[in-house]
Amino acid sequence: MSGSKFVVIDGNEVEFREGETILHAARRLGIEIPTLCHDDRLEPAGACRICLVEVEGSRLMQPACAFRTAPGMVVRTNTTRVDRNRQFIISLHLADTVADRDEAEDVSRSKLHDYAAQYGISEGDWPHVESPREGRADDENPFIAFRPDRCIVCAACVRYCDEVEGVSAITLANRGGRTTIATADLRSLDHTTCEMCGGCIAVCPTGAMTEKPALFYGKPERELERVRSTCNFCGVGCQIDINVDREANRIVKVTSPPPGTTVNDGNLCVKGRFANDFVHHPDRLTVPLVREVDGQLREASWDEALDRAVRGLQSVRETHGSDSLAFISSSRCTGEENYLIQKLARAGFGTQNIHQCAAT
Amino acid sequence: MEPKGARRESILDLLHDAGGLRPGAVGKVHLESKVPEADIYGVATFYHLLADTTTDVFVCDGLTCRIAGCGSTMKELEARGEKARFVSCVGRCDAAPATWDRRGRPETLSPAYSPSSDQHAIDLAARDDQRYDALGLARDKGGPWVISEMDASGIQGRGGAGFPAAVKWKGVIAQPVKERYVVLNADEGEPGTFKDREVMLRRPHLVIEGLAIAAFAVEAQEIYLYVRGEFGAAKASLIGALDEARARGDVDDRVRWHFVDGHGAYICGEETALLEALEGRRGMPRMKPPFPVESGFRGKPTLIQNVETLACVPAILKNGGAWFRTLGRTAPGSKLYCMSGHVARPGVYEAPLGITMRELLDLAGGAVGTLKAFSPGGASSGFLPASKLDVAMDFRALAVEGSMLGSAGVVVLDDTVDMVEASLAQAVFFEQESCGQCSPCRIGTQLIRQTLDRYLTSGRDPKTLEIIPEVSWGMSEASICGLGLAAALPVKSAMTWFPEEFGID
Ligand SMILES: Cc1cc2nc3c(=O)[nH]c(=O)nc-3n(C[C@H](O)[C@H](O)[C@H](O)COP(=O)(O)O)c2cc1C
Ligand code: SF4
Ligand code: SF4
Ligand code: SF4
Ligand code: FES
Repeated sequence: MSGSKFVVIDGNEVEFREGETILHAARRLGIEIPTLCHDDRLEPAGACRICLVEVEGSRLMQPACAFRTAPGMVVRTNTTRVDRNRQFIISLHLADTVADRDEAEDVSRSKLHDYAAQYGISEGDWPHVESPREGRADDENPFIAFRPDRCIVCAACVRYCDEVEGVSAITLANRGGRTTIATADLRSLDHTTCEMCGGCIAVCPTGAMTEKPALFYGKPERELERVRSTCNFCGVGCQIDINVDREANRIVKVTSPPPGTTVNDGNLCVKGRFANDFVHHPDRLTVPLVREVDGQLREASWDEALDRAVRGLQSVRETHGSDSLAFISSSRCTGEENYLIQKLARAGFGTQNIHQCAAT
Repeated sequence: MEPKGARRESILDLLHDAGGLRPGAVGKVHLESKVPEADIYGVATFYHLLADTTTDVFVCDGLTCRIAGCGSTMKELEARGEKARFVSCVGRCDAAPATWDRRGRPETLSPAYSPSSDQHAIDLAARDDQRYDALGLARDKGGPWVISEMDASGIQGRGGAGFPAAVKWKGVIAQPVKERYVVLNADEGEPGTFKDREVMLRRPHLVIEGLAIAAFAVEAQEIYLYVRGEFGAAKASLIGALDEARARGDVDDRVRWHFVDGHGAYICGEETALLEALEGRRGMPRMKPPFPVESGFRGKPTLIQNVETLACVPAILKNGGAWFRTLGRTAPGSKLYCMSGHVARPGVYEAPLGITMRELLDLAGGAVGTLKAFSPGGASSGFLPASKLDVAMDFRALAVEGSMLGSAGVVVLDDTVDMVEASLAQAVFFEQESCGQCSPCRIGTQLIRQTLDRYLTSGRDPKTLEIIPEVSWGMSEASICGLGLAAALPVKSAMTWFPEEFGID
């Protein structure tokens, strides 16, 4: 078939692109191939085997997530053999983890159970497999829970931590049915190099890696409302999805939008993902406070508070001169805000004493 | 992600030197290698000789050793206060019920051999040839001549897959990349197989000479010898032979030789898992393509060959490829067959490829008891019934029977053997040795074993076996490597040939 510039998938031609996988070529044709262990940010592992398709000339089916196309290649994703394999893989994983959907999705969503529903596989068709996967029950880190009974050992979390985060805090450990996700010597995550970015949670297709605070809160993600927002911890502008329990008017957790859709490509840092408990904290300041002459703080309007600040700054300048003032902006500020504060310092108060906390 | 300059390849050795996964070992190896601690832990827990720091005596409970009564061996050891545990193979099926003592206690293994013959390419009973004539010939006549003789010999790889060796030699030499490696696969671990062990012990010079010729022919600069951890004596034998060859100047220092120990993981016999182990990783097979010929050790062109395959090379060059071809009956060459189980004289027999099972049994003194079934090529080959005694024991004929020659580790079963129990023994082996990387094998091997357990505990209720056909279909279709692809074959073949034992009529 040399000479052809096309790859044929289910009878449709798509232009060959050097190095492209079957999965991506199929996507360009709008042909959906299920994946569990794959994430576009990661090197393909070919571990879960749900994406196997038939490739003409190959006796065995091949993983679409990893197999590169070649000019003239003929691929079939719609055969009974491919379909039978998808059902087989879903049934296997249900037998090996928590089959019941409500139980499996008690906190996070599960792509595995989406597929089970899509392919009409009902729970409990196969006997449960007593996989002896070890967890870390006494891991005391505040953010990330690993629940081995839900883990399909796809290692997406491990590859993410290594390839995207560059941290390698977690690993595949043991072998065979005992294979699990572990830290060095099974230490608590907060006693490893882990940066608590939570990326391992985001890539997990089953919810085996999950947010501890959400686990304690105990309401399924399905029942939460997702509100798209921008993280305001720094100026990058990462998009976040705030998962809100409307009834209780509470933020339950923050998740990252799917990779490839926003500037942060599905990634977040510890602050964006986990630093949200201040929102509902009783000590949180929600209105400006000004100090009375007796030293006591009382609530004030924004106008009053800002006036007070302006007067204070002006009186320092008048008494001690412009250079007795210094302005330091927060790394939570955007570029535009940083511009404005230097403008305030230089044009408003006539000083060059301006700094940004992330500039050191 | 490891920092630049991390010594990834050294971590298995460092872990070994640290006495395995003892408290503090991970941190120590991390300091020495700069590899992330989690990775070191992940690697250490993969290999049972590193993860298990307490056992002294490993007792085999593979099929051959089960029928030879490994249970009582264990009881005796425990009564003596030994720290013993069961593992699924120790590579000594000729001495069943077999044990391996990690403290290096002297042992006597005395398998039977075929008498010496000029129709044998290896000839275990002969004195080990130390002249390195074949290597001299190779140097005189050049690499292309070597490869053409290999081609003419038609030799198929003896490690299990039966892939034509010359195709790989030609493949490596054709690579534009000049950094190349030759790797000796001496991780022999297929239950029922102990031929490579005997070749290394009795004819180590053949192996060293074969390796030197291979490196010469494919223009490789380095040779790695990966020897199963339980084969300390075989490794010492190879080292001794290499030292002798060096001392006499037969082997010079243009090629660098490295010995690497296995650490207890059958899967590392699979060639790409072996490469992962050499690179200091968990022995999880790679996806193919690319094949090692193109991208192997360190991503460079690599020739990986089994011990027996390489040991045939000197005879091929000395007598010619055409001569080697004539040694076989239905396929080229003579072949080492390991006979164990219910046979009179367990041992390693060299015979023409394509000899029938009936003749092989005769060579080994016949079956003990009434022959019921046999496993022609290790656990991965499943079972055939006694009615197949006249099948040709070669790669193709056995494949036609739905079985395979594999490593030619023949296990003979008499009529006292319960085929459900026999299937269970193989299921346990695969469950313990699956690398756990891909779901069909990781979960499938457990399902098969648990299903057989359930069948037995349910008083043999055939309903418990209902999922076997679908699970074995999926495993044989969707697994990454040969382990998972073959792991359901024992139970599947047992159900085919002995349906009544599984309640099927
Ligand atoms: C699960 C598995 C285990 C294997 N174990 C061994 C082994 O112990 N020794 C070996 O030489 N080949 C083994 N092989 C075959 C190797 O992958 C490879 O084909 C062989 O080393 C190539 O050498 P050869 O062509 O000389 O046989 C194994 C293959 C699989 C799938
Ligand atoms: S939170 Fe981030 S750094 Fe920590 S284990 Fe998960 S992916 Fe790795
Ligand atoms: S925790 Fe999630 S991402 Fe990690 S291996 Fe298990 S299922 Fe995959
Ligand atoms: S088939 Fe088994 S041994 Fe092979 S890669 Fe998959 S899990 Fe590992
Ligand atoms: S998505 Fe391709 S093997 Fe998992």
